[in-house]
Amino acid sequence: MTESTIPSQVKSPKIAIIGNPNVGKSTIFNQLTGLNQKIGNYPGVTVDKRTGSMVYHGSNYEIIDLPGTYSLYPNSEDEIIAHRVLNQLSEEEKPDFVLMVIDSCQLSRGLFLATQLIDLGLNMALVLNMADIATRKNIAIKTFEIFKALGVPILSTDARGEKGLDQIRELIHQQNFSKKSSFITIEEVVPGNILNEVKEKFEFSNSYQAYQMLRFGEKDKTISLENRSWIKAKLEETNFNLEKAQLEETKIRYRIITSIVEKAVVKTPDVKKESGIDKILLHPVFGYVIFGGILLVIFQAIFAWASVPMDLIDGFFAELAGSVSSLLPEGPLSSLITEGIIPGIGGVVIFIPQIAMLFGFLAILEDTGYMSRVVFLMDRWMRPFGLHGKSIVPLVSGVACAIPGVMAARNIGNWKEKIITIMVTPLMSCSARLPVYVILIGLVVPNELVFGFVNLQALTLLGLYLLGVIGVLFTALLLKNILKTEEKSFLMVELPTYRAPRWLDVLMTMYNKSKTFVFEAGKVILAISVILWVLASYGPPERMDSIRAESEVKLAQATPEEIPEIENETSSLLLENSFIGIMGRAIEPVIRPLGYDWKIGIALIASFAAREVFVSTIATIYSIGADTEDELTIRQKLNQQINPITGDKVYNKATAFSLMVFYAFAMQCMSTLAVVYRETKGWKWPLIQTVYMTALAYLSALLVYQILS
Amino acid sequence: MIVTADSIPVTRAAIIKEILDSPLKINLMELGFLPGKTITLHHSAPMGGPMAFKLDETILALRKTEASLIEVQLL
Repeated sequence: MTESTIPSQVKSPKIAIIGNPNVGKSTIFNQLTGLNQKIGNYPGVTVDKRTGSMVYHGSNYEIIDLPGTYSLYPNSEDEIIAHRVLNQLSEEEKPDFVLMVIDSCQLSRGLFLATQLIDLGLNMALVLNMADIATRKNIAIKTFEIFKALGVPILSTDARGEKGLDQIRELIHQQNFSKKSSFITIEEVVPGNILNEVKEKFEFSNSYQAYQMLRFGEKDKTISLENRSWIKAKLEETNFNLEKAQLEETKIRYRIITSIVEKAVVKTPDVKKESGIDKILLHPVFGYVIFGGILLVIFQAIFAWASVPMDLIDGFFAELAGSVSSLLPEGPLSSLITEGIIPGIGGVVIFIPQIAMLFGFLAILEDTGYMSRVVFLMDRWMRPFGLHGKSIVPLVSGVACAIPGVMAARNIGNWKEKIITIMVTPLMSCSARLPVYVILIGLVVPNELVFGFVNLQALTLLGLYLLGVIGVLFTALLLKNILKTEEKSFLMVELPTYRAPRWLDVLMTMYNKSKTFVFEAGKVILAISVILWVLASYGPPERMDSIRAESEVKLAQATPEEIPEIENETSSLLLENSFIGIMGRAIEPVIRPLGYDWKIGIALIASFAAREVFVSTIATIYSIGADTEDELTIRQKLNQQINPITGDKVYNKATAFSLMVFYAFAMQCMSTLAVVYRETKGWKWPLIQTVYMTALAYLSALLVYQILS
Repeated sequence: MIVTADSIPVTRAAIIKEILDSPLKINLMELGFLPGKTITLHHSAPMGGPMAFKLDETILALRKTEASLIEVQLL
């Protein structure tokens, strides 16, 4: 077709894949690139930049998977990216060719975007995907009619069935893309003289590109302030109504498309109806029951399956730390590596099974078309709290782990709804709170039945989960009334035809999400864990040295049976006198009204790393030794702790409940903090969140303790 | 009186007459809600929740407030 526009073969050609949501764009991307994928970031936004390379007949091609969009008019962060790349505004991501994927059953909607691309003067080709479904729906497409009208190469594929993939590869290899002058004449809706001024100013050759700049340039933060004010001035000067022009453009475009589609599509009336499944899955009662059932199965699976790899990871890093410490000479470097860095990395890796599995399940639900049904069912119940139907996914994920939950909030287009979702998700009762709850419930709640069949301990646990939900709703309501936004909330979502999931895509999602977490949030987590390690293992040197010296004297005189006890006592003393210990003592006046002593204070600070660290810290403080597996020992020890002043038990009912409530609300998880930092692109929200959650935890725990004691 | 899409009974079809002016007009139009098209109410979520319309070969869910921007004529 047209000559190649590639500069001499220094770089491999860049091909951008674009299309409406749910057209199988990512399937094509995954098939073309396989495992040669990279996930990066576009500057300033949280949109994943998916690129990959394809090697075909010895040549290398760079493929970019752009976020799905219905048009070049951006509504969300995702669409801004598509807008920017296709308008060739970002030098770095400028594509050489564009592959536009269209759902064969949604021809006119796909052509809407396709013809906009033609107007931009892009070198492109069309892929009519999902040919199989079209056939099943008795839709026949005369591709030649479309080619006649558009003048760009067209392929027909079924990416799920892997049909036509080789044709795509061949098309890319032959660089069989082409460029048309224009589809509509934009000068019909925007005066040519304004467009010419924009073209001159920005050195554009294309009128439609000039129009896009005029329409959206003012809002694009990547464009220089000077240029933005120039656009603003130009619009004011000419007093031109852009919104009206955009509507006009849409009408003209669709009018021409409709005439093309009428010629190109032959549809035999469909007799069978597909709404049967929706009658059940969207039923006002059963719809919710089934959703609840699916959630139950997913969580069962995550708790049952994730614990195996998590234990393996835990064991592996413990062993690694052990063997490294035996290899290295004893000293600060060895303990930095074995007690700071290795457990820090372990603390990142340990989350991978949960993240991967949760995203695996989410991808299956998404891919089958069920997820948008859930959004449809839940939207009405989320909205009164300032949340969106899509918020249900992060919230539900939060029951397993807030990290994938916060990561999943990305799909919410509206800024305010996204921020509220991210802020409240960590209040859902995650699996890391469970060990803390179990120990404390076992300590103060009797294992007996109420009403003859309900276990009181189980009831308490259920109550704590409900408390999390109440925290979520309360906080969401609060934020709904505080945060202000000009953006209008809306729900326009396609309920796709039910299909079997594409396993390759599911696996790629699991892999990519885990990778993103490890490399993006991992840095922050590692840094915080090293800081916490320094605070817990160092203290004023004189005191620490004298404790060590005393312990050596004692050890020298001790019988072999006494040695473990002395060692446990020593580590307890060292922790008490470390910086964390000093901090724990310092905050005692503040936490005393909650019923806590300074030892609990130490555990609170140390478990900022992760909630479950509470258990092991408590074990060290009370000289139980490293074997924290034994809950009974910990419980017995805790039960024996007596307050030296009052002579009462330290872990009485009031203190234990106050602690449980504290852990229900407090932001005791640096990994969540790191992910919120990543997803909101800054420290503002994670800091507000930490302060808010700590305050909420403090006040609630205070209330509980004062009532119960 | 104007009849809008939020008042279509389930499984009833209607022809779109006009998309009423609002900031969401363009969003509705680019999804394919265009004057002259036929829509059918596929499903309605309980308690005033979203409504799912069949438009050509797709099912699109809108909130009631968005459906009320679509002026229709019942068939």
